[in-house]
Amino acid sequence: MEKKDIRDTYIKYWLENGKRPVSVYAFCQQMSAQEAGFYDNYASFEALEKDIWRSYFEETLLKLKDDEVYRNYSVREKLLAFYFLWIQQLRENRSFILLQRERFLLPGDHLGRLDSFRHAFYDYIRDLIKEGYQTGEIKERKFISDQFVHGFWAQALFVLRYWIKDDSERFEMTDAAIEKAVNLSFQLIGSGTLDSILDFGKFVFAGK
Amino acid sequence: MKEQTSIPTGKVERASRFVATGLKVGTNYLKHYTRKLIDPSTSREELHADNAEDIYDTLSNLKGSALKVAQMLSMDRGMLPKAYTERFAMSQYSAPPLSGPLVVNTFIKTLGKTPAQLYDRFDMQAANAASIGQVHKAMKWGKELAVKIQYPGVASSVRSDLRIVKPFAIRIVGMNEVDMDKYFDEIEGKLLEETDYRLELRHSIEVSAQCSHIPNLVFPTYYPELSSDRIITMDWLKGFHLREFLERGPSQEVRNKIGQALWDFYQYQVHALRKVHADPHPGNFLMREDGTVGVFDFGCIKEIPEDFYVNYFLLVDKGILKDETRRREIYTNLEMIHPTDTEKEIVFFSGLFQKMIDMLTLPFTREEFDFGDEAYFAEIYNYMEYVSNLKEVRESKVARGSRHSLYVNRTYFGLYSILSDLKAQVVTSQTRIMELIERAGVRAGKAEPLPM
Repeated sequence: MEKKDIRDTYIKYWLENGKRPVSVYAFCQQMSAQEAGFYDNYASFEALEKDIWRSYFEETLLKLKDDEVYRNYSVREKLLAFYFLWIQQLRENRSFILLQRERFLLPGDHLGRLDSFRHAFYDYIRDLIKEGYQTGEIKERKFISDQFVHGFWAQALFVLRYWIKDDSERFEMTDAAIEKAVNLSFQLIGSGTLDSILDFGKFVFAGK
Repeated sequence: MKEQTSIPTGKVERASRFVATGLKVGTNYLKHYTRKLIDPSTSREELHADNAEDIYDTLSNLKGSALKVAQMLSMDRGMLPKAYTERFAMSQYSAPPLSGPLVVNTFIKTLGKTPAQLYDRFDMQAANAASIGQVHKAMKWGKELAVKIQYPGVASSVRSDLRIVKPFAIRIVGMNEVDMDKYFDEIEGKLLEETDYRLELRHSIEVSAQCSHIPNLVFPTYYPELSSDRIITMDWLKGFHLREFLERGPSQEVRNKIGQALWDFYQYQVHALRKVHADPHPGNFLMREDGTVGVFDFGCIKEIPEDFYVNYFLLVDKGILKDETRRREIYTNLEMIHPTDTEKEIVFFSGLFQKMIDMLTLPFTREEFDFGDEAYFAEIYNYMEYVSNLKEVRESKVARGSRHSLYVNRTYFGLYSILSDLKAQVVTSQTRIMELIERAGVRAGKAEPLPM
């Protein structure tokens, strides 16, 4: 059994039934396969769902890395291109994602569901940030720079939530949101603004 | 890093920006009056400059329809103090650009291909901003092309933007709210039309074909196969925007030629086509040293309804204006006076309007007109400023002037202000317009004598 086949069948099951299969056994019956074959690939439906999110991300990245134009982009543009393509990728699976919405958008719970995706995303962002130091787009700062990845993760979640609620034509409001969000974040980490905010915060809390 | 999850995209955030500007403008007034207490010689010019700057900063951050309103306000030079105009005029040229990935994304979404696949060469760096979009330079078939791309979400935010701009516009223009309502409907409709690039493409092709016989006008060729509802591809026109062009010191002869071409273009549209390119801001014209002028951006086309047309141009006829009853009838048709007005109001307002119309239509009554005549424009501006400061006008609770007059007036204001900057001497006679119409071979029915 191929991982991709399992993922596709699982998504199809959701689309047609609107719920999770009752058991791995029942699910494998559908695929006319042995239960053991499933477990060779995934330990549980949770693991499978996590992998689906990760695969959206990986496929996006794969397409980007093939693209000549992408390689010549600045770091800010790379991130923009990533979001646009990622949203396009998600669009093909919008029905599935909307069905899952209640489950992964619950605070706390979504962290679990999107976990594998998050780890992969962190790796990607760390590379981008390193590149940003070299191009001078991002200023390296002690302690603070390490936290940037969390900021970008929050941004990715913002984009995802915005797109899920977006009802504009061709999801063009999401495009606008991505553009604004990324520009803002790079303005923050590229200049001394963030330092000033932190400095001010420290002063207010420590100076009492 | 909580700040990244609260990006100002919604109506509330936009509104709060305007509130901030409102506060700033308020502070400017406060500053002005305090300064005045200390130093009575402080001029209002300084205050206007302060205000214009803050307003401009806000509007250019908002982009889209707000920028459009800024452009519109900057057109009506007669209605605005000079400082506002200068500052707003800048908004006609530049605004922060769209990112490369977003441009690519727009292409993929609406044309299914990347710019690299569609063109031989495509400059990712925008060549200039176009109020609700930006223009890129590209190459294909050995030709230089201009590709206009719309900002995403413009159409969706037009309505909410306008609602936010309105109270603000009332402050700047000094019009009352009832007036504004009527006009804002008209503006909203036109703005929504402008976001529809398919419609614009159709208009562009149509009007350029109909006006192709007018001397010294140059229209780009449009490429529907490379256009979508967010993208328009056309020929790249060479030339300079008004201000740059004037800096190069063109001769009087060249300026006259360009002025004449623009005058002919507008007269022909109004009288023969009964619809007009209602966005005559300098960014839509490219002027060259050989006396030709490139015209594009037909996003804003105002159709002129027949009864409005007839009444509007009857006002130019001196004979008719001597007849008091007839004159009042026309004023009423144009909604300048209302049946509910008192005799005193009728006399007051019709006096104001007639004076204004006499001034504005002066070129129509001459064989030739020198738009370099600064005294003429100074008189118009002064009169407009005087009118807008009149207590009766400010306190008038009813709208005056038909909604159609908004874009028609704006068109003439825009045209005059360009011609005035060009200091062009133009043949303005009626025979010239008639000739243009005949040359186009318009059906006999349409070529009846003009009511002017």
